Amino acid sequence: MLHIQNLHASVEGKHILKGLNLEVGPGEVHAIMGPNGSGKSTLASVLAGKEDYEIHEGSVSFQGKDLLGLGPEERAGEGLFLAFQYPVEIPGVSMTNFLRTSVNAVRQYRGQEPLNGAEFLKLMNEKKKLIELDANLTKRSVNEGFSGGEKKRNEIFQMAMLEPALCILDETDSGLDIDALRIVSEAVNKLRSPDRSFLVITHYQRLLTYIVPDVVHVLVEGRIVKSGGKELALELEEKGYDWIRETASV
Amino acid sequence: MQTLTIDPAVEQFLAQFRPGSANGHAAPWQEAGRQALLKQPFPTRKTEAWKYTDLKPLLKRSYRLSAALPAADPVAWAIPGLDADRLVFLNGRYAPALSDLSRNGAVLEISSLADLAGPLAEQVGELAAPDADLFAALNAAYAQEGICIRLAPGKAAPAPLHLLYLTVPDGTELLAQTRNLILLERSADLKIVESQHTAGEGSSLRNVVTEIHVGENAGLEYIRLQQESERAVQIDRTEIRIAADARCSVFTFTLGGELVRSSLTMRLAGPNAEAHLLGTYVLSGYQQADHFTQVHHIAPHCFSNELYKGILDGKSTGVFSGRIHVYPDAQKTNAYQSNRNVLLSDTANIFTRPQLEIYADDVKCSHGATSGRLDEQALFYLRARGIPAHEARLMLLESFAGEVSSRISIEPLRAHLEAILAARLASLRSRA
Repeated sequence: MLHIQNLHASVEGKHILKGLNLEVGPGEVHAIMGPNGSGKSTLASVLAGKEDYEIHEGSVSFQGKDLLGLGPEERAGEGLFLAFQYPVEIPGVSMTNFLRTSVNAVRQYRGQEPLNGAEFLKLMNEKKKLIELDANLTKRSVNEGFSGGEKKRNEIFQMAMLEPALCILDETDSGLDIDALRIVSEAVNKLRSPDRSFLVITHYQRLLTYIVPDVVHVLVEGRIVKSGGKELALELEEKGYDWIRETASV
Repeated sequence: MQTLTIDPAVEQFLAQFRPGSANGHAAPWQEAGRQALLKQPFPTRKTEAWKYTDLKPLLKRSYRLSAALPAADPVAWAIPGLDADRLVFLNGRYAPALSDLSRNGAVLEISSLADLAGPLAEQVGELAAPDADLFAALNAAYAQEGICIRLAPGKAAPAPLHLLYLTVPDGTELLAQTRNLILLERSADLKIVESQHTAGEGSSLRNVVTEIHVGENAGLEYIRLQQESERAVQIDRTEIRIAADARCSVFTFTLGGELVRSSLTMRLAGPNAEAHLLGTYVLSGYQQADHFTQVHHIAPHCFSNELYKGILDGKSTGVFSGRIHVYPDAQKTNAYQSNRNVLLSDTANIFTRPQLEIYADDVKCSHGATSGRLDEQALFYLRARGIPAHEARLMLLESFAGEVSSRISIEPLRAHLEAILAARLASLRSRA
């Protein structure tokens, strides 16, 4: 469903991704781990279509389409979802208005009829219950004044609303205490299904005890240098990233 | 007789304001205006208060006072769902036949400025001095029409008052001058909606002065909506005195007009008085809007809050001046000011100028100004959720502009304004 081949990307003249290859199949959960500055968040941003990044080489196909030729909103329509590392606060835009515009924009892209007010509220209440989102959060402006945990749970809630085919979690665990981490992970696990894939980007192994991956990749200096099963994450946790650097450079 | 107006172009410009028939008896404020006219120079870019707005193009135009009142149907300009009394000003003149005071008649008194006598007459020109500048002098000297609106002590007006300024140029270059005096007596409560429109083709110049006294413990909410055509020039001077324990909020929405000068002065004259100055301007094409505001903290323990937000597109120019003057006796003053702007094109200009003069030592004052583009991070966030770029921009602009309109307490008016703002923002070319 996602094929990345020899991807090279830079931001502000700095070459960050240097020939990245990755294959994710339907329903699979892949974790991408790596030290700071290895290009993890760049990969997430490039896949979601952030315009600050320049692609020099390589290709990304998503469900048979050339992803790099699409705008961010078209990628969302195609079923790609990025859970942001730093969800943006948008004062004055209510959560409800935002979600309804978003859901109906994606439905329109997919050739579906827009939801009316009642249908939308029903869907929202259903998903709120599933994710166990505080009912009051949808009455506020988008992410405004939300705690770190609330922001991350709100990302998973939006994911549930948009029903994507591929979910990219960009350091969703960063800044969360153990309780918040567990709650967010449980919400993600509820959304796992045979036709929904996940790309879980993280610096720490801790998240992967809750969201158990099928494959773990290690990203160093813009390339995947090692891939393995879930036990690779534990090995990394134990031996540190220097171990990988040494192994990879051989 | 001494005169500074030796430039023939200026002389010609001023002559347009003189009524055709000689006006026999002049009230003291009219006489003061005529005297002031002899001494007031035409404002240029060298005049500090007009630094960013060039009025010289006005000298090349020939405006005419309207001879007869045109036919007009005020119902076309009613605000949907708003149950309000209506006072209509047609080409600057009060049109009693088109007005309706049935809801507030028992507590509101309307009279012509020309008929005022005694202490009431002395209040004309007290706040907006005839010699404040050339346009104040012109208005005092030759205003065609003026009314006094007086709300009795202890009375809350049962319904809002809609002041409808309708200009019908009829293909000509129309000149209109109005001068109003609004008095809220002690513990009175009033909501005023003022909307300004152009009907039909032609250009216009309106020079308006409004003086408002908010009495002790009284409350005024005053919402102004500039929706005139792109050939309309408006020079507005509004001066307000707020007595002890009184509250006054003035909203200024500048969406229309070719050139708008909106001068607003609030004087906090008694302890525990409260002033809110709120504005939103949306400018495009070659529009110019100059919001010139002053807050005078004369008495102690007063509060003022000012927020003006601007969205500028095309080759438009916005000016915001905000002066806060805290007098030596005005201890425990709280004064806040903020001016925030979004520039949608490389050719739009904003000049923002906060000025704080503080002569008391126990005060809390803050001011801030920002100008920039739409938040790119927020835009990407919305697009990443499937919202097309043009719709995402519109959402961000509406939320930016909505911060001011959301504070309007009159529900149907708030909804009306949000719809007008949304339509105006959707019409901007650079939003997509």
